[in-house]
Amino acid sequence: MAQSSKQEPFEPFEFHVTPEFNEQYLFAAEDYHPRYLATDSGPPLVHPGLLLNQSNVTRSPSFSLRGWMAGIHAAEEVEFINPARVGKRFRVTWKVLEEYEKRGRHYTVIEALVVEEDGLEILRRRTHGLLVKRGEGG
Amino acid sequence: MKMTRETPMGTEFIGKKKRLSEARVLAFSGGRFNASAWPGKNIHTDLEFAKSYGLPTRSASATQYMAYLVELMIDLFGEGWLNHGKMNLKFIAIVDVDDELVSKAVITSKEVKDSKVSFTLSVWCDNQQGDKVAIGTATGLI
Repeated sequence: MAQSSKQEPFEPFEFHVTPEFNEQYLFAAEDYHPRYLATDSGPPLVHPGLLLNQSNVTRSPSFSLRGWMAGIHAAEEVEFINPARVGKRFRVTWKVLEEYEKRGRHYTVIEALVVEEDGLEILRRRTHGLLVKRGEGG
Repeated sequence: MKMTRETPMGTEFIGKKKRLSEARVLAFSGGRFNASAWPGKNIHTDLEFAKSYGLPTRSASATQYMAYLVELMIDLFGEGWLNHGKMNLKFIAIVDVDDELVSKAVITSKEVKDSKVSFTLSVWCDNQQGDKVAIGTATGLI
């Protein structure tokens, strides 16, 4: 496994979770648990699927495949740190942890951190992407 | 289906069957419903777009079925899993529109840590053919 030290920053991405935006993901995930619609202890929880999807590195305003044809989501390590609440704004930051070649294929490992507007850390994930050149797809 | 500290090793759990209909894939990966150009074109929502990037077909976002596994973990551990839960996954097959997936888990280890019991589970998603499309592990505390 060869490693490179190429590190390119991705601009942060911010998003606001309205009740309507959360419900879009409840529909998508077929998960209408009441915890995502109303709670006795405060605003509803943000559906985890929304947080995972909105923290994909493709959300970065400066995302680029840097000459590769496509990036295939190959593996994932995710750590949930705190529940997120509807009505809040969130900021996602990314950093490239590693780029490497394995069995002739190129991979990148990117860490995403989702933080609530008040500074509360919500989740951290490390995404392993397989970088594909034209003709390698599939 | 919630786990307890006494739930034994080897116990298996099966989540709800989910169908990745066209509408649900677009809702997950097409951007906000109120966007002017909804659904946004990307490798998950548009076949021609996927082919233009050298991919043989479009596929559902892996984060969509990661969410299915997270739902199963919250069912087992409760909402507290969102304060400490971890999951490591590999995505080993393409998931197409209209595929049906079921999340599954089996307890592979348990260990007392301080006043908590730490569980490790082998987790995966099967499609309608019974083929695994995602495999990995998850941990949680009770």
